[in-house]
Amino acid sequence: MSDPESKIQRLLSVIPYVLKNQGVTLSELCDVFGVSRAHIVSDLDLIFMCGQPDYTPADLIEVEIDGDQVFIRMADYFARPMRFTTAELSGLYLACEAVRRLSGPPASSALTSAMDRIAGALKEGAVPRDLIAESVDFHQPAPGGELVAALSEACERRRVVEMEYYTYGRDDITRRRVHPLSLEFGMGNWYLRAWDGRSREIRVFRVDRIKDMKVTADTFEPPPEEEADRPSPGPHGVAAGGEIEVCLRFSPALARWAEEQPIFSQAQMVRGRLVCTLRTDNLSWLERELLRYGTEVEIISPPELKERLRARVKNLLEMYG
Amino acid sequence: MGGCRVNKSERLIDLIAMLLEARRPVTLERIRRSIPGYGQATMPSFKRMFERDKSELREMGIPIVVEPVDAFGEELGYRIPKEKYYLPEIDFTPEEKVALLLVNRLSSGELTPLSREAAAALHKLSPDLGAGSRLVQTGSRHFRFAPQREPLECLTVLWEAAAARRTVRFVYHSLGRGKGKARARERELDPYGLYFERGAWYVVGYCHLRKEIRSFRVSRIESGVELVRPGENGPDFERPADFRLKDYSRILPWEFEEGAEYEARVLFSPRIAWQVERDLGDVYRFEPAEDGGGVMQVTVRNEDAFLGWVLSFAEDAEVLSPPQLRERIKERLSSMLEELGGGDV
Repeated sequence: MSDPESKIQRLLSVIPYVLKNQGVTLSELCDVFGVSRAHIVSDLDLIFMCGQPDYTPADLIEVEIDGDQVFIRMADYFARPMRFTTAELSGLYLACEAVRRLSGPPASSALTSAMDRIAGALKEGAVPRDLIAESVDFHQPAPGGELVAALSEACERRRVVEMEYYTYGRDDITRRRVHPLSLEFGMGNWYLRAWDGRSREIRVFRVDRIKDMKVTADTFEPPPEEEADRPSPGPHGVAAGGEIEVCLRFSPALARWAEEQPIFSQAQMVRGRLVCTLRTDNLSWLERELLRYGTEVEIISPPELKERLRARVKNLLEMYG
Repeated sequence: MGGCRVNKSERLIDLIAMLLEARRPVTLERIRRSIPGYGQATMPSFKRMFERDKSELREMGIPIVVEPVDAFGEELGYRIPKEKYYLPEIDFTPEEKVALLLVNRLSSGELTPLSREAAAALHKLSPDLGAGSRLVQTGSRHFRFAPQREPLECLTVLWEAAAARRTVRFVYHSLGRGKGKARARERELDPYGLYFERGAWYVVGYCHLRKEIRSFRVSRIESGVELVRPGENGPDFERPADFRLKDYSRILPWEFEEGAEYEARVLFSPRIAWQVERDLGDVYRFEPAEDGGGVMQVTVRNEDAFLGWVLSFAEDAEVLSPPQLRERIKERLSSMLEELGGGDV
C-alpha cells in the first residue's frame, strides 16, 4: 500500500477516535494506531487545511495540539470510521478465530460473543464465517485452554504457582514455586515466563511440559518492569547459551530440514552438508535429539557427546535385545 | 506544481469530505471548481487526475457512487452515501474489548493470513474499543504472540485463492528423507484450505503433479505464490463436497508420505507418558498402565519419521510391535554405533 493511501486510511480512523475522546494524548494515539509520534503529528498536520468548500476558516477542520493533548472540531462528517473492506473483515475474522482457538477461556468465549456482535452490527450477511470455518483450521496446542487460562489469571492476580515441571534439557521432573509474569505463544506452543524460586531467576517454561500445577493463595511483588519485559532469551524450548560448545554436521538429506529448526539456526552449508554450532549447559537433551537423526548427523565436537551417545545407543540395543 | 494546496493526500481527504457531505450528487465541474487541489489543472488533466483519485479511493473501499444529478438524468454526479460509508457503532462489553486487544497483538505478530487488513479493521473499531485498543493496556499485557516465520504475503495469497477457488502455482522444496528425494519442483495446486499445526502453516489441496490431495508446508514454498490463470475471474475448480479440512489437519509427520500403513504399539515410561497422551490422545488410542506409563497405538506410513520420533524419547519409549519394526530399530541403532566408533565404550 502506498504511503499516502495508508496515511488516509489511518486518518479516517484517527479522526473518529479523537472526536470521541477529545483531549486524548499523542502517546495514546501512538499505542492505538501502532505508529510513531512523528507519524501521528504529520497525519494531523495534513488535515489541518482540509474541510468543506469554500475552505474559509469556518469550513476547515480544526486541529489543536495542546502540549500532549489532541482536539479536533468541525469534522462531524468523519465522526465514524469507514466500513470494513471484504479483505479487512476476512482478516479480522481469521485473526479472531486464531486467538479463539489458540488461547483458553475467558478470551475464547468473549471473542465468540464479540464476533457475533460485529456480525450483528454489519447485518447483510457480510461476514464470511462459513468460508473461514471451512478453509482454515487451528490446532490448539496441548494441554488445552484451561491451563493457559489458569496461568493467565495467576499472572494477572500475581499469585504464586506451584508446579511439577518436566525439564527437557535435563530430562527430569522437578517441583517449583514460580511467580508467573507473562504468557507468550510462539512456534506452536505457549510459554510461561516466570521468576523461578529454584534457580532464583526469570525462566521460560513450556506450558505443555507442566505436568501438574496449583495456583496458591500467596501473592508476589512483580520484578522491576524492565526485567519482566525483557524478551525471552534465544530460541524457545531449550535455553540458548551455555558452557559447552557443540558442533554437528548434517547429511545432505537432512540439511534443509535441520536448517528449519530454530535450535540449529547457527549454521552454514558446506558442500551440501549443514555444519552447525550451538551452546548448551547440558548434553542430555542433545543425545535424545541426535537419536532422532540416526546416521544422518555426525558429531564433530565435543568428544564427550560422542561418548555419551555411544553409551546410550548401547543401552537401547540391549533394550531391544 | 506549486502552492501549498496541491498535496495529494489533502486533495483526497477534501474529496471524501465533500462527497460525504453532499446531499445531491456533485458534478465534475463543481468538484473541479471547489477543491483547491484540482483548481490549477486543465480540464483534460483534471479528468485524468480525478479518475485516478476515484479508483484509488474505491480500492480503499470508499463507496463512491455515480448518479444522475436531477430527474432528467442527463448529467451525472458523484457522492458517497453515508449509510454505505459509516461503520455502525458497536457496543462491546469490557471482556470483549480485552479479547479484541489480544487479536490486535496477534495480528501485529502476522500470525494469520490478511494480518495487515485485520490490523486496519481493528483501527476502525478503535473508537468503539476506547482505550481498550491500546497495545500496552493492562489486563492482558501478559499475553504475547511471537511473529510467525511464513511470509505473510504467501499466506494471504493462499487463503484468498482457497476462498475464491483459484488454482495456484509455486516452487516447493519437498523434504523426503531418502536419497535424492529432497528437491525443488514447480507445483500446481487447487488449494482447499490452510491449517496451523505445531507452529507451522500447511496448505492442503489437489496437487496436479501427484494427482491427489496433498499437504504442503508453507515455509517450504521457495517462490512466491501466483495464480495460474490470473486473467480470468474463476472459480478454477470445485472443492469436493466430501472434503473436510479436519481430516488432514491432524496428519502427523510419520503419516505424511506414502508407504504401507500399519499400526505400531509403543510403550511409554511414566516420566513421559502423560506428555504423549496430552499431545496425541485425541488421535491415537492410549492404554494407561498402573505405574503411570502406558501403551499408545500409532498409525505409521513413513517409517523413517516414526523411528526418529520414537528414538528421540530414548529409554522412555519402546516399540513393542510389530516385530519387524523392532528389527529395523536394531539395525538403525547398530549402524549408529558403527558410525560412533564401534562397541568399545
